[in-house]
Amino acid sequence: MLSRRRYRLKRHHKFEQDERKYVADLETGDLVQVNDVEWEILGRYESQTPYQIVKRLKGKYKLSAIFEGIERLERLGGQGILLSPITQPAAPMTANGNQTDRMPKLLVPFQFTREKSALDYLTGLNRYQFLRHLSAFAELETLAFSEIGGEKQEIPDFDEVRVRKIDVPKSSALAAPWYALDGYDGILLLSQFLTDDLLYYRMPDVPIVHCIDGAQQLLHVLLKTLLTLSAFQRSKDTLVVKASWMKAWLAELEMPVENVRVIPDGIDVVAPIGDKALAKQHTAAIFEKPMFMKQPVVGLISGFEPKRGAAWISAFARANPHLAIFVYDAMLAERYRHPPENVVIFRADDEETLSVLPIFFQALDLVCFPAMPGTPLSIVLEAMAFGAPCVAMAKYGMPEEVAGAGVAVKADWNHFGNFRVPMAELSKTIYKWLQPSQVHRLCENFSERIIHRHTRKDAVQAIVRVFEESFQRETDDYLGETERTLFPPIFCRQYEPETGALRSCVYRLGINRDDDDLEAALAEVLAEEHTAAEVASVFKHFQRESPECI
Amino acid sequence: MLGFPKVLHQLHLFEEKGVPYVADLNKARVVELSVVMMDILKLAETQTDDAIVETLSASYEENDISEAFERFAELEREGLLFNRGEDLARSLATESKWRKLLVVIPGINVDSFFDIETLSAGTNMALAYMIRHLTKYADLHFAGSRNRKITDSVYEVDIGIDDLVRLRSKIAETYYGILTLHQDHERWLLPLYRYLEFPPILVQNHAPRGHGGQAINSMLRHYAAMRDCDGFTAPSDYVRDFYADYVWDPSFFNTLPNGVDSKLFRPMDKAAAKREIAELVGDERIEIAPTVGYLSRVQSEKGASVYLKLAALNPHLIFMIAGPDMGRYASREVPKNLVYIGFHPREKLPVIYNAFDVYCFPSMSGEETFGLTVLEAMACGVPPVVPNFDGVPSVVGDAGLVANAENFAHDIATFVSYPCPVDFSEKINTLLNDTEMWQAFSERARERAVLFTWDKTARRIVQLFKILHQKKKLINRNRLLNVFAPAQPIEGEEPEGQNCRSVVLSMNTHYERCLIRDAVYPLPVEDGLVLSILKAHTAREAESILAELVADETEARSILRRVRGLINATA
Repeated sequence: MLSRRRYRLKRHHKFEQDERKYVADLETGDLVQVNDVEWEILGRYESQTPYQIVKRLKGKYKLSAIFEGIERLERLGGQGILLSPITQPAAPMTANGNQTDRMPKLLVPFQFTREKSALDYLTGLNRYQFLRHLSAFAELETLAFSEIGGEKQEIPDFDEVRVRKIDVPKSSALAAPWYALDGYDGILLLSQFLTDDLLYYRMPDVPIVHCIDGAQQLLHVLLKTLLTLSAFQRSKDTLVVKASWMKAWLAELEMPVENVRVIPDGIDVVAPIGDKALAKQHTAAIFEKPMFMKQPVVGLISGFEPKRGAAWISAFARANPHLAIFVYDAMLAERYRHPPENVVIFRADDEETLSVLPIFFQALDLVCFPAMPGTPLSIVLEAMAFGAPCVAMAKYGMPEEVAGAGVAVKADWNHFGNFRVPMAELSKTIYKWLQPSQVHRLCENFSERIIHRHTRKDAVQAIVRVFEESFQRETDDYLGETERTLFPPIFCRQYEPETGALRSCVYRLGINRDDDDLEAALAEVLAEEHTAAEVASVFKHFQRESPECI
Repeated sequence: MLGFPKVLHQLHLFEEKGVPYVADLNKARVVELSVVMMDILKLAETQTDDAIVETLSASYEENDISEAFERFAELEREGLLFNRGEDLARSLATESKWRKLLVVIPGINVDSFFDIETLSAGTNMALAYMIRHLTKYADLHFAGSRNRKITDSVYEVDIGIDDLVRLRSKIAETYYGILTLHQDHERWLLPLYRYLEFPPILVQNHAPRGHGGQAINSMLRHYAAMRDCDGFTAPSDYVRDFYADYVWDPSFFNTLPNGVDSKLFRPMDKAAAKREIAELVGDERIEIAPTVGYLSRVQSEKGASVYLKLAALNPHLIFMIAGPDMGRYASREVPKNLVYIGFHPREKLPVIYNAFDVYCFPSMSGEETFGLTVLEAMACGVPPVVPNFDGVPSVVGDAGLVANAENFAHDIATFVSYPCPVDFSEKINTLLNDTEMWQAFSERARERAVLFTWDKTARRIVQLFKILHQKKKLINRNRLLNVFAPAQPIEGEEPEGQNCRSVVLSMNTHYERCLIRDAVYPLPVEDGLVLSILKAHTAREAESILAELVADETEARSILRRVRGLINATA
């Protein structure tokens, strides 16, 4: 692995004698014999990035020799020979005061486009809208690999993202993430079901922002993804979720959430088509359900696990026969063909259906939604944008995104999408919030705020800010080469003459003695490669206390 | 005054920003010089002290010159700049036709290996023979403090213990292997294993137990730290079998049997030999009564007390003992039939052995892996009686009798066994009471002993280095990336706390895609842990960690096996 830390070349002198190459460290008096590749690396070390060094030298030397050369020199650097560590992390371009006008350059691997078929229309659309708006604030680039003489990989046409075409020999040894070393300020990851993106998490010094949508089905798979991502994250990386309840969910699982941000998608709100009565009239006409003109209309923005959603919706409809219920459900709309009489189910799956959606939203008297990972917050907000208050069925209290515009009913759900809410209480609350009152005026103000707060531009600016913060964040994931370099541990077994038993222990070189604290040494070694959270989870697995030193 | 002219190390003089420096290529050090020092160095190989002073006095103050001389004296004391002894590089280049081995045995004067009378301990004796025969197959360079030729194919080189790490690339370039001797408490060898550059290191071990467990612990430490291309040698299979109970991979213990000089140690006229010894010590009983003998330091560990008991049990036999002195028994009353026959030079030993009818070896020391004297006695046609303990029975084979011994499951103080005096006594008498049987054992002893040659030992060392070189070629630095992540919940199961799993990426630290299909593969935490440990530590260290963390040893071993398999397969 290329070093996460940067080194400065110390005062040195290079010379050749008897066809051998030497470098003298004039500060320590060490003389190091180097091979040809190390000699060349040293010549480039200060002016070139590891990427540039490898790229320039790879035609001339074996890849492994180049990497090993860099590693050997940096290992020497760790011992204070030839190189000395730079304590201040290299300032990225954007944080440089002189270059504030330069946009950050972000790598957006396009793996996520392969997810398209697995995602609903709106999620896909949101991603493209997001990238389009983001391109106003950041330079976006994606990688396209084509084997020399091989089949060309088709890269989706997307104007705002520059495609960097990389021709690689058929048996290219370098994995795609390596190319991310080349001058990117950050990596933006958008896929959530594909694991290839995980490879990018081992890039030194390049912060990653990974945006994750909710998922309506297979909640436990989403959970696995989130748990994995959070394990992969280093302190400079950020996980972006789209609703506050996603973060609360992670917190409930005792996941570290310091680097989890909630950035809802921006929303598109069109001007009202007329008054609410007209919208109701249209809705009733489109669905051929006159009750939508006469009865209070409740919008249920559903994120239920599909298998359970249908049952819950029908129970809800039966418990509230006096309500006309408009259900937005991206997964059920196709399949749930015969819902109860007072229910209509809809989803937007093309431009045409998307264009009528605001009419239905405008017809709503109340928005009701389960605050769970499958529920798209942006649709909840779009539905509320015409002034309807909401009743959130929430596990973690009233979601902050809609605070002030409604009320929460305590609900519960688990990782497999099992959802429970006291139906009588829910019905009572809905009934109460359907009564015209002062509260409604407040909600109308709220809807104004929603429209202003959740623009597409706001969302992408928030992402850019996250990148800028992560440039500043100290990379404190890895223990420096402190004790470990001074007193490297040897894990060995020792024989106890008193009992004749063997036990595992640690022998420290340098101080040359046994050190009983195997756990501390193990934590130290693991911390070289892993985050503190990972180390802690390993110790937890073995039911050991993790040592304080981490 | 320094005694110029002097032979200089390989030096490189240079200036950087106006400051003169000298790089000592032999010692991998750089030293800042003054201008006058630089000028002195240029004259150092051709001019005398006086000539140098005279030449330079025109351009420098006298003070500066004498200061420079003082500074050179300091550097010389540190072993820098000046060659002490002849210029080895020249002789190496012209003479060497063999592979070179670097022999590092601190604390022992190199010359002593070539003056066998100065050696007393069996270990050093064995080493001396081994070294002598090894010169037929390799040049031996003893790490020391000056450059000189000792004898054909044997050199002392100016490489101190402290230089080894700095000179590792040079050592790798020059030497086929490093041969050394295991000593408890050493501090220089353990750090070397951390450098993959070094050629294979073969560690001779003659004392695998004892010292209150310290020997075992030191061995276990080395075992843990060793690279895949290093190994121990021990004189008998017993050491490997013994350590098989302590380590998972006993293949690091290679058997390297000792030899015997069967031309020197040979059967002689027994009556004449007995007469000679009887005359030597002035005790004619030696010529009359059947004799039992033992060559050893007179110490508890060597079974001195058992030997005394045997003498007491068998007043009809003469028990001779040859060694440096009688130790603590010198001032004690010993059985009358025990005869101390003194300490003798090596060429005298064949006669002494031949004066014994039976060789008795009651040692119970934890260091006894072979019993070199048993082999020497056998070479002289003297049937041995040895305890059923450690490596000695494997040397004796069917050429002697093995007496019962109580072997301890673990060391107590310096002891690991107690030979049974009654059984020893019975076996001795069995041999002495049956002439035909004695004759048969005597012949077998000689036949068996001649099979143990030092030449075989030397060839085995070369062969072991070859094997280690193969292993070195197979070492890979392939480090797959992995992370630890909390496991997802499983439907229908109550989440109990936060379970953990590991995930291995299909990419290594060199950004090489090592696994096809998926980008990540789930692993048990244990496997992930081993994967992480092996990035910078040995499989033997992973063994220690697994032994601590995984209760079921069979499972623990299979974890290590499969993770190593994964790493090797993706290299």
